[in-house]
Parts: sequence; structure tokens; C-alpha cells
Amino acid sequence: MASLYPFIGACNQELRWEKSAYTKPKSSRVAVLAATSYATNGLKETIIRGIKLFGLEISGKRVLLKPNLVEFDPNGVINTHPAVIEAAIDAFKTLGAREVIVAEGPGHRRDNEYLLSASGLYDVVKDHRVTYVDLNTDEVRLIQLKSSFTSLKQLYLPETLFNADLLVSMPKLKTHHWAGVTLSMKNMFGVVPGAIYGWPKNALHWAGIVGSIVDINSSLPLPRFAIVDGIVGMEGDGPLQGQRKNSGVLVLGDDLVAVDATAARLMTIEPRQVKYLELAEEFLGNLERSNIEQIGEDVERFRQDFKVIEKFSNLKKIVG
Amino acid sequence: MLDEAIKVLKRSQNSDGGWGAISGKQSNTESTALVLLALRSLDDSVQKPATEKAEQWLRNSQNSDGSWPYGAGAKAASWSTALAIIALHDSSIDVERLVRSGNWILAQAGSKPGILTKLILALSFQKKAVHLNDDLIGWSWTPESFSWVEPTSYCLLALKKMKSWLSATTVKERVEQAELMIYDRMCEGGGWNYGNAAVYGDPLWPYPDITALALIALQDHRERNQNQVSLEVLEKTAETTNSGLALGWSSICLSLYDRDISELRKRLDQRFARTKFLGETKPIALSILAAGEGWRLFRV
Repeated sequence: MASLYPFIGACNQELRWEKSAYTKPKSSRVAVLAATSYATNGLKETIIRGIKLFGLEISGKRVLLKPNLVEFDPNGVINTHPAVIEAAIDAFKTLGAREVIVAEGPGHRRDNEYLLSASGLYDVVKDHRVTYVDLNTDEVRLIQLKSSFTSLKQLYLPETLFNADLLVSMPKLKTHHWAGVTLSMKNMFGVVPGAIYGWPKNALHWAGIVGSIVDINSSLPLPRFAIVDGIVGMEGDGPLQGQRKNSGVLVLGDDLVAVDATAARLMTIEPRQVKYLELAEEFLGNLERSNIEQIGEDVERFRQDFKVIEKFSNLKKIVG
Repeated sequence: MLDEAIKVLKRSQNSDGGWGAISGKQSNTESTALVLLALRSLDDSVQKPATEKAEQWLRNSQNSDGSWPYGAGAKAASWSTALAIIALHDSSIDVERLVRSGNWILAQAGSKPGILTKLILALSFQKKAVHLNDDLIGWSWTPESFSWVEPTSYCLLALKKMKSWLSATTVKERVEQAELMIYDRMCEGGGWNYGNAAVYGDPLWPYPDITALALIALQDHRERNQNQVSLEVLEKTAETTNSGLALGWSSICLSLYDRDISELRKRLDQRFARTKFLGETKPIALSILAAGEGWRLFRV
């Protein structure tokens, strides 16, 4: 039954957004960087190199890292690997960040201590003396949504977002059984506070997953950047029960639509078939290959054929 | 651990009388209700000023219709209302105020897909993602969404505690259906997670905290096979559980089912020494409840 929610949401969508609030770039840049292993000492340098490619001004900024930490399975590859988060902490500190915060509102579990300890993130934040914020129970502020692809109109967001200068979405490269793929835009479900919207952020499912992804991303109150952990990804019945897929890559960029479109191509998934990307392309960012300048490695070198569940077989109809 | 945990909580009480999710954060109903229970379980007159202020915060934050929001500015929620009822049930609060709350909870219900939605699903020929009986209604986290195990467990517990004050017929009807809903969502082999036993045929695993909460809510059916199987799962899971939240709820639950929790108490001590439960109010409160006779406050 839950599989119907995205479909219903999609049926109900009206294409609306505050035109004055967005200036979609004519073209975007996305960096695909080789990273073969989590054990590699060079991860930090790779991320620094990626950030520098975009000319981000980090000095003096409060940087909020938002990994994907939704659940833990000792045999699975559900979460953004702690080595990537650690490397990002190091990288942003090296580049002069005033403060680096790690924040997540896990979608399934309420047990932060368990999730952090089991995933290995506890030791990372402790060793680096970094604050971890549970966005699920953070203080909240009610905002007006700037687009209306759902009937939500308003959204409670954690106060921590309003106190940061840069939000870095750090998803895992995964397929997703409701949304098709879960990348830097879907990862933003985790900023929505569970204490208000429940677990597994069910109010957003009822509002329509596709529309919710677009509405959240269109209305976040701070600049964004993305670092996708594609060193080991997940195919099949993601985001929890799929199989590992070694991809050996990090994807970085400041246009999250373009980052996700590129990451989808790495999975041999047609981004235009991913509903939320198709909608987001209209006003948030670039999807077409011709509008995305690829920097770093050649996508073709890292392209893998990620399996998808049957209902998303259309994602494999590659257009270009 | 107990003394230090109490000190931490006393230090982190906000000037308005409530507690936030962690020290220094805005007061919320969940944290305040659980700390109130924890401090009351100590049966110590020294705690009285703190508990009186906490009760006052809860009274002040109750909506006129009897409900409680999670925190300031949020909409009323059945689960936070249920936790406030559980915390205030044995206090000096006017019964009439709690009756209003109980009736408010009875008026809430998790949503279910309408006929049109079911029809579209049937016509889409999609493989069914989840196999659960969506006609069984419990309580949702937030209005107009699906019923889930944790909010339903809180509401069941609250209603069972105050059933003599409410319409017997309505309570019986809602409680019976909600219990069926929880049993329907049980994981293969026992125990519960947030509320789906499997997705696309792949079984999902039980969580110790949610399994404990469901068993606490279903404590008056302890002889049922599902309870017994899930109790075994909880005991087995508890052997490797390592978090204040999971150990706390597991200890309270296993005490209610007359199990020995001395080992879990030791592990709570060790865990608190290592992580301080990340400074989170809720597991600290639960550890206090687990350390003594606090589990009795969850008896129905």
C-alpha cells in the first residue's frame, strides 16, 4: 500500500513555485572523483580537491554535514560511511570552517546512541570534538514552503539549519523502493523533524514522497553542497535491504539536481525518469547532460549497472 | 550511575519547569513526562520541588481540548498527549483535565487509504510493498497519517491506565482494534520495529526499544503466544543491546514481565559511564526508572 503514496502524490501535483525565489543556473558543474576505498588516507585530500573545484568560501563558516544515517544493519551498506564523514570534517576544518556540525534526523530509528555507536560515527564525532545534533528533536521553526508540489504549504524545520552557513548533503549512492533513487535531494528528508512528522517521516509519505522531496529542497533556508558517498553503493531494494555495489567514486557539486542526475547516470539510471529530478529541473537545477559540465573523472569510467526493483524498471530506459 | 543521572537531570531542568531533549534545549512534553516519572519513582521528598515544577509545566502546556503538543508551536499529537497522561495519572491534576485528554485521544485515529486509493493500487498491478492489514487502526505520530507501533503503544498504555474514567464501550473498541493492529505488525519471529514487518518480501528486523514498548502496552495479554515469542526476542536482543534508550525500555518491560534485569542494569551503568547517553534526557530518565521500582509506574 505504501508504494502507492508516491503515485498518489504525483497525481495530485500542481507545478507551482515562487518564480522570483529561484534563478536556475544555465549550466552547472559536477565533480566525479575516484575514491577506491574507505581505508584510503587520501579521502580528505580528495574532498578538499573537490570543494576547491567549486571555489566555495569556507573560512569562518559554520558547516553542517548531513549524512544519511537511517538505520543500521551489520551486514548492509545503508549509511554514509563514517570514513567519508570523518574526511569531510577534516576537509572543512582544514579549509577554515569556524565550526563543523554533524546533524541527522534518522528516519526509522529514534535511538541515536545505538545508530551512532553501531555505525562508527560515535567515535568520529568524539575524536574530532564535533557536535552531533539530532534533528528529530531539535527546536523547530515553521516556514512557508516556496513551492507547492504537495498540499503541505508550511514545514517545521530544525533551528540548527537556520544557524548554519552551509548545508552539506552527504548521501549514500542508493536505489530506493519508493523514490527510485535516494541521493542528495532525498537525503533532505532527514532534516525534517521526526518529533513533528513522525517515524518514518510518514506525514511526508502521505503528502507524496516525490512532491515532498521537491518542496523541502526548494525551501531550505541556506546554501547547499553535496558529497555523495559512492565508494560502496546499494542496488535493488534500497534504501535498507538492497545489495552492496562497489563503485569507487565520490560525487560533489553545488547544484543538487545536477549532482543527483550525474549520480543516477553513474548507476545507469535515466535521471529524467526519476520523478522528483524531472520536477526539480524545472526551477531548481540542471538535469540535462548538455547543461552539466563534468569535472574530475569521466562518468563512463565509473558507470555501474545498478539493479532496481520491478516497479522502477522504467528508470533503466536511458535517454541520453 | 543513579546519583549522577539524577544530578544531570536536576541540573538540566529548564527554568520553566520542563526538560528538553538535551540540556539547554526548549522543554518538550516527552522529555518532561519521562523525567517526571523518573523523579517520582525515587519516592524521595527531595525531588518534590522539581516534580512540582514539572507538573506545572505540563499543566501549562496542555491545550484547552485536553491535548498536548510535543513542544511549543507544534500541533497537538496523540503520542505526546498519551505520555503526559501517563506522567500525570498519579498526580494531583484534576481528573476532569485528564478525562478531556483521554477523550481527545479517543477522537484521534491513524488514517487508512480510501477506496479510490485501493482501487488505483489494484489497477496498477504493482507488487504489494507491505503486507499489513490497513483496516486496523491505531494512532499515528501526526494527524492524517498512518498508524504506527510506538504512538499506538503510548496511547494504549494511557487508555488502559485511565479506562475507568472514560466510556467503557469506546475504550474497549479502540483498545481491541489497536491491539490487533500491533499484533498484525509483528516482525517475522517476534518483536516490533517502527511498524512494517517486511517490505517487498524482505523481512525487517525488530528494534529492542519498540519491542519493549509494544510489550508494555500489551502487558495484560502476557500469556498470548505473540507476547511470549516477542519477549524471547527482546531477551535475546537485550544481550547485545548497547544504548541507554534500548536498555532502559527493555529493563522496564522485562521487569513488568517478572524477568531478572540485574545484568541489564549493570550494562546501563557501563553504558552511561562510556557515553552519558549522548546527554539525551529520555534515556537518562529511563535509566533511573529501570534502576529501581520505576517500572511499576507502567503497570496497568
